[in-house]
Amino acid sequence: MGETPVAASETVDAPPPTRRFSLSAALDGFFFVFAGIASVWLAWLVLNESFGFGWWGIAFFVLFWLVLAYLVLPRLHRILTTIYVPDYFIGRARTSDGLLGDPVNLAVDGPEASVHAAMLAAGWTRADDVTLASSWRIVTGTLTRKSYDEAPVSPLFLFGRQQDFAYQQEVAGNPAKRHHVRYWRTPDGWLLPGGRRVDWLAAGTFDRAVGFSLFTLQVTHKIDADTDVERDHIVATVLGANPGARVHVLADFATGYHSRNGGGDTIRTDGDLPVIDVSDVPAPALAVTRGGDT
Amino acid sequence: MNVEKRAAFEPPAELVRPVAPPPDMRRPVSTGAGAVLVVLRVIAGVVWLIALAAQWDQVLEDDGGIDPESAEGVASYGVLVFILVFGAVVLLVQLLLAFAVYRGSNAARLTLMILATLSIMVSWLDYVAGREITIRTTLVTLALDILVLLALSSRAARSYAQRPRRGRGAPATATPVRTPRVG
Repeated sequence: MGETPVAASETVDAPPPTRRFSLSAALDGFFFVFAGIASVWLAWLVLNESFGFGWWGIAFFVLFWLVLAYLVLPRLHRILTTIYVPDYFIGRARTSDGLLGDPVNLAVDGPEASVHAAMLAAGWTRADDVTLASSWRIVTGTLTRKSYDEAPVSPLFLFGRQQDFAYQQEVAGNPAKRHHVRYWRTPDGWLLPGGRRVDWLAAGTFDRAVGFSLFTLQVTHKIDADTDVERDHIVATVLGANPGARVHVLADFATGYHSRNGGGDTIRTDGDLPVIDVSDVPAPALAVTRGGDT
Repeated sequence: MNVEKRAAFEPPAELVRPVAPPPDMRRPVSTGAGAVLVVLRVIAGVVWLIALAAQWDQVLEDDGGIDPESAEGVASYGVLVFILVFGAVVLLVQLLLAFAVYRGSNAARLTLMILATLSIMVSWLDYVAGREITIRTTLVTLALDILVLLALSSRAARSYAQRPRRGRGAPATATPVRTPRVG
């Protein structure tokens, strides 16, 4: 075989070589996989319990589903997708389990303050980060039917990083439906396929209902299959509210997606990638107000 | 011309890639949950020890075939005391480790994962040997072991335990105030 070819992925080789393979990291890898296998056994044992307690068996069956959907399948997906999903830009965000998530269907040029200013002017609300406090507010909001405009969005990953921020628009009186768009800052010097440089990439999708994820069986938002509608909605609202914003469309950038997101929803798109330039949108001096942080 | 084909999959070494968390990382849910689960596991262990002591005579007869009234049976109380003391020490250590994990110790996290793994393997050997694992026997302790392992081996818990600490080998950049405790 000769010498091993240098891996193409820069992220693998980025850390200093001495830290490449430590005992702690090897142990971690082992425990990560062993815990996944052990959790399969646990799910099996719990499922067996559900046959033995009459009506109480239903409770065990629900427990089995919880173990399967929230522990076993995410861990197995994480292990497998680490290996079989390529870790470079393929126009898709990835879920925290490593599955393919929402399609990247929007790009933005301009400094962060201008992006915030443009989105706020266009009538979008910045989503809170997922914390214990915001999660608790979702629970209480659901129970008391109080709307939570800044509700956090689930984390999706691009360039190995969670979104830097997200914006959303509530649909009046329906917590199951909402517009939302996640933003990632592109790495310095990173170019889109085709050679164009953009400052931000974004994935905008419309949550149309609550349902079960096809791959993890978790309760999740189902997104609208026609992601172009949401993309065009974002572009239209931003352009409409910001005279300084311009748009340039990279036609057929990702033509012909007929695929699924991390929840198993179908995605349809014409493949155009609008690049919004918000550099000329005046940004108030760092007055990015955040709701919910009290 | 030599063109290497890129493999159609990422190397499994990705699973052991060192993490690079930010120093100001907040304690993730999995770390807190892991610590709480270890405490629950300790409570389950205490219950098990008490149950063993209370039913010692019966355990002797059923499993060892020893008459508790015999000289051998009386001597076996020494074994019981040994088991109780040893178990109590192990549980106490686990309790301290749970606290250390909550504070973000990586050594404590690895130690607890090793203990959980050993415990799971023993249960597995029992299971293969034909002993039933149900809610009435050892399912609860086994489930807690597996949940501890899942929580502590997660990427978030690992990142938190391996996050760079200020003041440990770090260059003396201006850190005028002590790190404020969050939460």
